[in-house]
Amino acid sequence: MNEPDDTKLMERCSNGDRQAFEMLLARYEKPVFNAAYRMLNSPDDARDVTQTVFLKVYEHLDQYDPKYRFFSWIYRITLNESINWLKKTNRLDALDGDTADTASGPEQEASNEQLSEGMQAALMTISPDYRSVIVLKHLLGCSYQEISEVLEIPEKKVKSRLYTARQLLQETLIQRGLH
Amino acid sequence: MTIDPKYFELIQADIDGEIDDAGKAELESFLADSEEGRSVYEQLETLCRSLDGMPSIDPPQHLRHVLLNQAPVKAAPQPSPGFLQRLFAGPILGYVGMFAAGVALTLTLVDSDQISRGAFDDVTGLVGTIADSEFAVPEHGTISVDKSEVAGTVTLRSTGPILIVDFDLSARQPVEIVAAYSDKTIWFNGFAQLESSGTSIAAETGAVTLNMDGKRRYAVYLNNPGIRPATIDLRFMADDQVIHEAQLSFSEAD
Repeated sequence: MNEPDDTKLMERCSNGDRQAFEMLLARYEKPVFNAAYRMLNSPDDARDVTQTVFLKVYEHLDQYDPKYRFFSWIYRITLNESINWLKKTNRLDALDGDTADTASGPEQEASNEQLSEGMQAALMTISPDYRSVIVLKHLLGCSYQEISEVLEIPEKKVKSRLYTARQLLQETLIQRGLH
Repeated sequence: MTIDPKYFELIQADIDGEIDDAGKAELESFLADSEEGRSVYEQLETLCRSLDGMPSIDPPQHLRHVLLNQAPVKAAPQPSPGFLQRLFAGPILGYVGMFAAGVALTLTLVDSDQISRGAFDDVTGLVGTIADSEFAVPEHGTISVDKSEVAGTVTLRSTGPILIVDFDLSARQPVEIVAAYSDKTIWFNGFAQLESSGTSIAAETGAVTLNMDGKRRYAVYLNNPGIRPATIDLRFMADDQVIHEAQLSFSEAD
Protein backbone atom coordinates (compact mmCIF):
# COMPACT_ATOMS: atom_id res chain seq x y z
CA MET A 1 0.00 0.00 0.00
CA ASN A 2 1.29 3.44 -0.89
CA GLU A 3 2.16 5.77 1.95
CA PRO A 4 0.24 9.05 1.82
CA ASP A 5 2.36 11.90 0.52
CA ASP A 6 3.44 14.79 2.71
CA THR A 7 0.81 17.16 1.36
CA LYS A 8 -1.99 14.73 2.18
CA LEU A 9 -0.57 14.24 5.65
CA MET A 10 -0.39 17.99 6.19
CA GLU A 11 -4.03 18.32 5.14
CA ARG A 12 -4.99 15.65 7.63
CA CYS A 13 -2.89 17.34 10.34
CA SER A 14 -4.79 20.57 9.72
CA ASN A 15 -7.98 18.69 10.48
CA GLY A 16 -6.60 17.58 13.83
CA ASP A 17 -5.50 14.09 12.74
CA ARG A 18 -2.75 13.18 15.18
CA GLN A 19 -1.96 9.97 13.35
CA ALA A 20 -0.99 12.03 10.32
CA PHE A 21 1.30 14.08 12.52
CA GLU A 22 2.85 10.87 13.85
CA MET A 23 3.49 9.76 10.27
CA LEU A 24 5.20 13.04 9.40
CA LEU A 25 7.24 12.68 12.56
CA ALA A 26 8.29 9.18 11.61
CA ARG A 27 9.34 10.48 8.19
CA TYR A 28 11.18 13.63 9.23
CA GLU A 29 12.33 13.22 12.82
CA LYS A 30 15.66 11.68 11.88
CA PRO A 31 16.61 14.00 8.99
CA VAL A 32 15.64 17.07 11.01
CA PHE A 33 17.60 15.87 14.05
CA ASN A 34 20.64 15.04 11.91
CA ALA A 35 20.56 18.35 10.06
CA ALA A 36 20.37 20.21 13.36
CA TYR A 37 23.15 18.05 14.78
CA ARG A 38 25.47 18.81 11.87
CA MET A 39 24.66 22.51 12.12
CA LEU A 40 25.15 22.69 15.89
CA ASN A 41 27.58 19.89 16.71
CA SER A 42 25.68 18.96 19.85
CA PRO A 43 23.14 16.17 20.25
CA ASP A 44 21.45 18.02 23.12
CA ASP A 45 21.06 21.21 21.11
CA ALA A 46 19.90 19.20 18.09
CA ARG A 47 17.22 17.57 20.22
CA ASP A 48 15.97 20.95 21.45
CA VAL A 49 15.95 22.39 17.93
CA THR A 50 14.10 19.32 16.64
CA GLN A 51 11.44 19.90 19.28
CA THR A 52 11.12 23.54 18.26
CA VAL A 53 10.89 22.62 14.58
CA PHE A 54 8.02 20.18 15.04
CA LEU A 55 6.22 22.48 17.41
CA LYS A 56 6.45 25.24 14.79
CA VAL A 57 5.24 22.89 12.09
CA TYR A 58 2.25 21.96 14.22
CA GLU A 59 1.50 25.53 15.24
CA HIS A 60 1.79 26.91 11.71
CA LEU A 61 -0.01 24.20 9.79
CA ASP A 62 -2.30 26.83 8.35
CA GLN A 63 0.66 28.74 6.92
CA TYR A 64 1.88 25.82 4.86
CA ASP A 65 1.36 26.43 1.16
CA PRO A 66 0.80 23.06 -0.56
CA LYS A 67 2.16 24.36 -3.84
CA TYR A 68 5.60 24.10 -2.21
CA ARG A 69 7.01 20.80 -1.16
CA PHE A 70 6.77 19.99 2.55
CA PHE A 71 10.41 18.97 2.88
CA SER A 72 11.59 22.38 1.71
CA TRP A 73 9.41 24.02 4.36
CA ILE A 74 10.53 21.82 7.25
CA TYR A 75 14.19 21.90 6.24
CA ARG A 76 14.06 25.69 5.98
CA ILE A 77 12.59 25.85 9.48
CA THR A 78 15.29 23.46 10.70
CA LEU A 79 18.16 25.49 9.28
CA ASN A 80 16.68 28.78 10.44
CA GLU A 81 16.08 27.43 13.93
CA SER A 82 19.62 26.04 14.04
CA ILE A 83 21.03 29.42 13.04
CA ASN A 84 18.81 31.14 15.62
CA TRP A 85 20.14 28.72 18.19
CA LEU A 86 23.71 29.57 17.22
CA LYS A 87 22.87 33.27 17.56
CA LYS A 88 21.24 32.72 20.93
CA THR A 89 24.26 30.85 22.22
CA ASN A 90 26.76 33.27 20.66
CA ARG A 91 28.14 30.59 18.36
CA LEU A 92 27.21 32.16 15.07
CA ASP A 93 30.79 32.88 14.11
CA ALA A 94 32.61 29.97 12.55
CA LEU A 95 35.17 28.49 14.92
CA ASP A 96 38.79 28.54 13.95
CA GLY A 97 40.46 25.28 13.15
CA ASP A 98 42.05 24.95 16.58
CA THR A 99 38.98 25.45 18.68
CA ALA A 100 36.43 23.58 16.59
CA ASP A 101 35.91 20.25 18.19
CA THR A 102 33.38 17.50 18.08
CA ALA A 103 30.89 16.81 20.82
CA SER A 104 31.66 13.83 23.01
CA GLY A 105 28.14 12.51 23.50
CA PRO A 106 27.38 8.81 23.41
CA GLU A 107 26.33 8.94 19.76
CA GLN A 108 29.69 10.45 18.93
CA GLU A 109 31.56 7.76 20.83
CA ALA A 110 29.53 5.15 19.04
CA SER A 111 30.48 6.43 15.60
CA ASN A 112 34.13 6.68 16.60
CA GLU A 113 35.42 7.42 13.14
CA GLN A 114 38.29 9.81 13.04
CA LEU A 115 37.53 11.16 9.60
CA SER A 116 33.90 11.69 10.38
CA GLU A 117 34.80 13.51 13.57
CA GLY A 118 37.38 15.57 11.70
CA MET A 119 34.80 16.40 9.08
CA GLN A 120 32.28 17.50 11.71
CA ALA A 121 34.93 19.66 13.34
CA ALA A 122 35.82 21.11 9.94
CA LEU A 123 32.14 21.84 9.30
CA MET A 124 32.10 23.98 12.41
CA THR A 125 34.89 26.14 10.98
CA ILE A 126 32.79 27.38 8.08
CA SER A 127 29.97 29.88 8.38
CA PRO A 128 26.41 28.62 8.95
CA ASP A 129 25.44 29.68 5.41
CA TYR A 130 28.10 27.43 3.92
CA ARG A 131 27.35 24.71 6.46
CA SER A 132 23.70 24.79 5.41
CA VAL A 133 24.43 23.94 1.77
CA ILE A 134 26.73 21.10 2.80
CA VAL A 135 24.08 19.69 5.13
CA LEU A 136 21.40 19.94 2.46
CA LYS A 137 23.57 18.38 -0.23
CA HIS A 138 25.44 15.66 1.61
CA LEU A 139 23.27 14.82 4.59
CA LEU A 140 19.78 15.39 3.23
CA GLY A 141 20.63 14.46 -0.36
CA CYS A 142 19.03 17.52 -1.94
CA SER A 143 19.62 18.49 -5.57
CA TYR A 144 20.74 21.99 -6.57
CA GLN A 145 17.15 22.83 -7.40
CA GLU A 146 15.90 21.54 -4.05
CA ILE A 147 18.60 23.44 -2.15
CA SER A 148 17.58 26.53 -4.07
CA GLU A 149 13.97 25.94 -2.97
CA VAL A 150 14.89 25.41 0.69
CA LEU A 151 17.22 28.38 0.95
CA GLU A 152 15.22 30.55 -1.44
CA ILE A 153 18.30 31.52 -3.43
CA PRO A 154 19.01 31.05 -7.18
CA GLU A 155 20.57 27.78 -8.30
CA LYS A 156 23.64 29.63 -9.52
CA LYS A 157 24.23 30.88 -6.01
CA VAL A 158 23.73 27.35 -4.65
CA LYS A 159 26.54 26.11 -6.92
CA SER A 160 28.95 28.86 -5.98
CA ARG A 161 28.16 28.56 -2.27
CA LEU A 162 28.61 24.80 -2.43
CA TYR A 163 31.91 25.18 -4.25
CA THR A 164 33.27 27.69 -1.75
CA ALA A 165 32.07 25.62 1.20
CA ARG A 166 33.87 22.57 -0.15
CA GLN A 167 37.03 24.54 -0.81
CA LEU A 168 37.03 25.84 2.76
CA LEU A 169 36.42 22.36 4.14
CA GLN A 170 39.18 20.92 2.04
CA GLU A 171 41.65 23.53 3.27
CA THR A 172 40.75 22.80 6.89
CA LEU A 173 41.07 19.06 6.39
CA ILE A 174 44.44 19.46 4.69
CA GLN A 175 45.63 21.63 7.60
CA ARG A 176 44.59 18.88 9.96
CA GLY A 177 46.19 16.17 7.91
CA LEU A 178 42.87 14.51 7.20
CA HIS A 179 42.71 14.96 3.46
CA MET B 1 45.97 27.59 -10.63
CA THR B 2 45.42 27.94 -14.35
CA ILE B 3 42.13 26.13 -14.79
CA ASP B 4 39.31 28.08 -16.36
CA PRO B 5 36.61 28.57 -13.65
CA LYS B 6 33.96 27.01 -15.91
CA TYR B 7 35.73 23.66 -15.54
CA PHE B 8 35.50 23.87 -11.76
CA GLU B 9 31.76 24.21 -12.20
CA LEU B 10 31.64 21.25 -14.58
CA ILE B 11 33.74 19.12 -12.25
CA GLN B 12 31.42 19.88 -9.36
CA ALA B 13 28.31 19.29 -11.47
CA ASP B 14 29.65 15.93 -12.61
CA ILE B 15 30.47 14.77 -9.09
CA ASP B 16 27.04 15.94 -7.91
CA GLY B 17 25.33 14.10 -10.77
CA GLU B 18 23.95 17.34 -12.16
CA ILE B 19 25.80 17.62 -15.46
CA ASP B 20 24.12 17.49 -18.86
CA ASP B 21 25.45 15.56 -21.86
CA ALA B 22 27.13 18.54 -23.50
CA GLY B 23 28.83 19.52 -20.25
CA LYS B 24 29.95 15.95 -19.68
CA ALA B 25 31.55 15.76 -23.14
CA GLU B 26 33.30 19.09 -22.61
CA LEU B 27 34.58 18.02 -19.20
CA GLU B 28 35.88 14.69 -20.48
CA SER B 29 37.76 16.41 -23.24
CA PHE B 30 39.26 18.88 -20.78
CA LEU B 31 40.27 16.18 -18.27
CA ALA B 32 41.91 14.11 -20.96
CA ASP B 33 44.37 16.96 -21.54
CA SER B 34 44.77 18.38 -18.04
CA GLU B 35 46.61 16.61 -15.26
CA GLU B 36 45.82 19.49 -12.94
CA GLY B 37 42.15 19.16 -13.81
CA ARG B 38 42.22 15.45 -13.01
CA SER B 39 43.85 16.18 -9.68
CA VAL B 40 41.20 18.78 -8.79
CA TYR B 41 38.52 16.29 -9.80
CA GLU B 42 40.00 13.56 -7.59
CA GLN B 43 40.35 15.83 -4.57
CA LEU B 44 36.81 17.09 -4.82
CA GLU B 45 35.46 13.61 -5.37
CA THR B 46 37.31 12.33 -2.30
CA LEU B 47 35.97 15.16 -0.20
CA CYS B 48 32.41 14.57 -1.39
CA ARG B 49 32.69 10.87 -0.70
CA SER B 50 33.81 11.64 2.85
CA LEU B 51 30.94 14.07 3.31
CA ASP B 52 28.45 11.55 1.96
CA GLY B 53 29.89 8.96 4.32
CA MET B 54 29.25 10.95 7.47
CA PRO B 55 27.11 8.66 9.62
CA SER B 56 23.48 9.39 10.25
CA ILE B 57 22.74 9.55 13.94
CA ASP B 58 19.67 8.09 15.58
CA PRO B 59 17.73 10.68 17.56
CA PRO B 60 17.36 9.93 21.29
CA GLN B 61 14.82 7.16 21.80
CA HIS B 62 12.45 9.31 23.82
CA LEU B 63 12.39 12.24 21.40
CA ARG B 64 9.41 10.91 19.45
CA HIS B 65 7.37 10.68 22.66
CA VAL B 66 8.30 14.20 23.61
CA LEU B 67 7.47 15.52 20.15
CA LEU B 68 4.11 13.80 20.14
CA ASN B 69 3.25 14.98 23.59
CA GLN B 70 4.33 18.57 23.09
CA ALA B 71 2.07 19.02 20.06
CA PRO B 72 -0.97 20.99 21.16
CA VAL B 73 -3.98 18.71 21.17
CA LYS B 74 -6.82 20.07 19.08
CA ALA B 75 -10.17 19.90 20.82
CA ALA B 76 -11.58 16.94 18.98
CA PRO B 77 -15.06 15.80 19.93
CA GLN B 78 -15.11 12.52 21.83
CA PRO B 79 -17.89 10.49 20.24
CA SER B 80 -17.98 7.88 22.97
CA PRO B 81 -16.09 6.87 26.10
CA GLY B 82 -13.01 4.73 25.61
CA PHE B 83 -13.32 0.98 25.64
CA LEU B 84 -11.92 0.48 29.11
CA GLN B 85 -13.99 3.32 30.53
CA ARG B 86 -17.14 1.65 29.20
CA LEU B 87 -16.05 -1.76 30.38
CA PHE B 88 -15.32 -0.62 33.90
CA ALA B 89 -18.09 1.92 34.21
CA GLY B 90 -20.09 -0.13 36.73
CA PRO B 91 -19.46 0.75 40.39
CA ILE B 92 -18.67 -2.80 41.50
CA LEU B 93 -16.35 -3.50 38.62
CA GLY B 94 -14.85 -0.08 38.91
CA TYR B 95 -12.31 -0.85 41.61
CA VAL B 96 -11.06 -4.04 40.00
CA GLY B 97 -11.31 -2.35 36.66
CA MET B 98 -9.08 0.44 37.81
CA PHE B 99 -6.47 -2.06 38.84
CA ALA B 100 -6.66 -4.08 35.65
CA ALA B 101 -6.56 -1.02 33.49
CA GLY B 102 -3.74 0.34 35.57
CA VAL B 103 -1.63 -2.77 35.25
CA ALA B 104 -2.27 -3.04 31.53
CA LEU B 105 -1.44 0.58 30.92
CA THR B 106 1.55 0.54 33.21
CA LEU B 107 2.91 -2.33 31.18
CA THR B 108 2.20 -0.41 28.03
CA LEU B 109 4.06 2.58 29.35
CA VAL B 110 6.99 0.54 30.52
CA ASP B 111 7.39 -1.78 27.60
CA SER B 112 6.27 0.09 24.55
CA ASP B 113 8.36 2.42 22.49
CA GLN B 114 5.18 3.84 21.04
CA ILE B 115 2.72 5.16 23.57
CA SER B 116 -0.41 5.55 21.55
CA ARG B 117 -2.58 8.58 22.10
CA GLY B 118 -5.48 6.18 22.26
CA ALA B 119 -4.07 4.74 25.45
CA PHE B 120 -4.33 8.13 27.09
CA ASP B 121 -8.07 8.18 26.51
CA ASP B 122 -8.43 5.14 28.70
CA VAL B 123 -5.90 5.93 31.32
CA THR B 124 -8.25 7.26 33.95
CA GLY B 125 -7.85 4.23 36.19
CA LEU B 126 -4.12 4.46 36.37
CA VAL B 127 -3.79 7.24 38.89
CA GLY B 128 -6.42 5.66 41.08
CA THR B 129 -4.49 2.42 40.97
CA ILE B 130 -1.16 3.83 41.92
CA ALA B 131 -2.73 5.87 44.67
CA ASP B 132 -4.46 2.93 46.28
CA SER B 133 -2.51 1.54 49.21
CA GLU B 134 -3.46 -2.08 48.56
CA PHE B 135 -1.78 -2.02 45.18
CA ALA B 136 0.68 0.73 45.87
CA VAL B 137 4.04 0.76 44.21
CA PRO B 138 6.96 1.93 46.39
CA GLU B 139 6.55 5.48 47.59
CA HIS B 140 9.64 7.60 47.91
CA GLY B 141 8.22 10.75 49.42
CA THR B 142 5.41 13.22 49.48
CA ILE B 143 5.50 16.99 49.64
CA SER B 144 2.61 19.15 50.71
CA VAL B 145 1.69 22.51 49.32
CA ASP B 146 -0.51 24.83 51.32
CA LYS B 147 -0.73 28.17 49.60
CA SER B 148 -3.68 30.40 48.92
CA GLU B 149 -3.24 29.80 45.19
CA VAL B 150 -2.76 26.02 45.29
CA ALA B 151 -2.88 23.28 47.90
CA GLY B 152 -2.45 19.53 47.94
CA THR B 153 0.25 16.89 47.67
CA VAL B 154 2.77 15.57 45.19
CA THR B 155 4.01 12.03 45.70
CA LEU B 156 6.91 10.24 44.05
CA ARG B 157 6.52 6.53 43.38
CA SER B 158 8.38 4.10 41.18
CA THR B 159 7.96 0.83 39.39
CA GLY B 160 11.08 -0.56 37.77
CA PRO B 161 12.71 2.24 35.83
CA ILE B 162 9.52 4.32 35.78
CA LEU B 163 9.23 7.19 38.23
CA ILE B 164 5.65 8.27 38.82
CA VAL B 165 5.07 11.79 40.03
CA ASP B 166 1.52 11.81 41.33
CA PHE B 167 -0.07 15.26 41.64
CA ASP B 168 -3.21 15.73 43.75
CA LEU B 169 -3.78 19.46 43.81
CA SER B 170 -6.44 22.05 43.96
CA ALA B 171 -5.76 25.48 42.51
CA ARG B 172 -7.83 28.63 42.87
CA GLN B 173 -6.29 30.20 39.81
CA PRO B 174 -4.09 29.10 36.88
CA VAL B 175 -0.90 27.63 38.27
CA GLU B 176 2.24 26.56 36.46
CA ILE B 177 4.35 23.76 37.89
CA VAL B 178 7.83 23.01 36.63
CA ALA B 179 9.21 19.59 37.54
CA ALA B 180 12.92 19.61 36.73
CA TYR B 181 15.14 16.54 36.87
CA SER B 182 18.81 17.23 36.69
CA ASP B 183 19.86 13.78 35.47
CA LYS B 184 19.77 14.08 31.68
CA THR B 185 19.39 10.35 31.21
CA ILE B 186 15.88 10.62 32.62
CA TRP B 187 13.24 11.19 29.99
CA PHE B 188 9.58 12.02 29.89
CA ASN B 189 7.64 8.80 29.32
CA GLY B 190 3.99 9.75 29.59
CA PHE B 191 1.19 11.57 31.29
CA ALA B 192 -2.16 10.51 32.68
CA GLN B 193 -4.94 12.45 34.32
CA LEU B 194 -8.16 11.52 36.05
CA GLU B 195 -10.03 14.29 34.30
CA SER B 196 -10.14 14.18 30.53
CA SER B 197 -8.94 17.76 30.26
CA GLY B 198 -7.87 20.68 32.37
CA THR B 199 -4.16 20.14 32.64
CA SER B 200 -1.64 20.76 29.89
CA ILE B 201 1.89 19.49 29.82
CA ALA B 202 4.99 20.42 27.86
CA ALA B 203 8.12 18.32 28.03
CA GLU B 204 11.59 19.58 27.30
CA THR B 205 15.06 18.39 28.11
CA GLY B 206 15.33 17.91 31.85
CA ALA B 207 11.93 19.25 32.80
CA VAL B 208 8.20 19.09 32.30
CA THR B 209 5.95 22.09 32.72
CA LEU B 210 2.35 21.64 33.77
CA ASN B 211 -0.43 24.17 33.70
CA MET B 212 -3.55 23.56 35.74
CA ASP B 213 -6.51 25.22 37.34
CA GLY B 214 -9.17 23.79 39.67
CA LYS B 215 -9.04 20.42 41.40
CA ARG B 216 -6.87 18.04 39.46
CA ARG B 217 -5.35 14.61 39.83
CA TYR B 218 -2.69 13.57 37.36
CA ALA B 219 0.58 11.68 37.06
CA VAL B 220 3.75 12.28 35.11
CA TYR B 221 5.80 9.24 34.13
CA LEU B 222 9.54 9.56 33.81
CA ASN B 223 11.90 6.88 32.60
CA ASN B 224 15.00 6.52 34.72
CA PRO B 225 16.87 3.90 32.65
CA GLY B 226 19.69 3.25 35.09
CA ILE B 227 17.33 3.25 38.11
CA ARG B 228 19.79 5.74 39.50
CA PRO B 229 19.24 8.06 42.45
CA ALA B 230 17.40 11.10 41.21
CA THR B 231 15.89 14.31 42.46
CA ILE B 232 12.95 16.21 41.08
CA ASP B 233 12.75 19.90 41.82
CA LEU B 234 9.26 21.28 41.83
CA ARG B 235 8.54 24.95 41.34
CA PHE B 236 4.99 26.26 41.66
CA MET B 237 4.18 29.56 40.00
CA ALA B 238 1.15 31.80 39.88
CA ASP B 239 0.96 35.19 38.17
CA ASP B 240 4.57 34.68 37.08
CA GLN B 241 5.72 34.57 40.71
CA VAL B 242 7.27 31.57 42.42
CA ILE B 243 4.92 30.67 45.25
CA HIS B 244 6.44 27.39 46.42
CA GLU B 245 9.46 25.21 45.82
CA ALA B 246 10.06 21.63 46.94
CA GLN B 247 12.15 18.60 46.11
CA LEU B 248 11.38 14.90 45.79
CA SER B 249 14.15 12.31 45.85
CA PHE B 250 14.37 8.79 44.54
CA SER B 251 16.80 6.18 45.70
CA GLU B 252 16.48 2.49 44.91
CA ALA B 253 17.10 1.70 48.56
CA ASP B 254 13.96 3.61 49.64
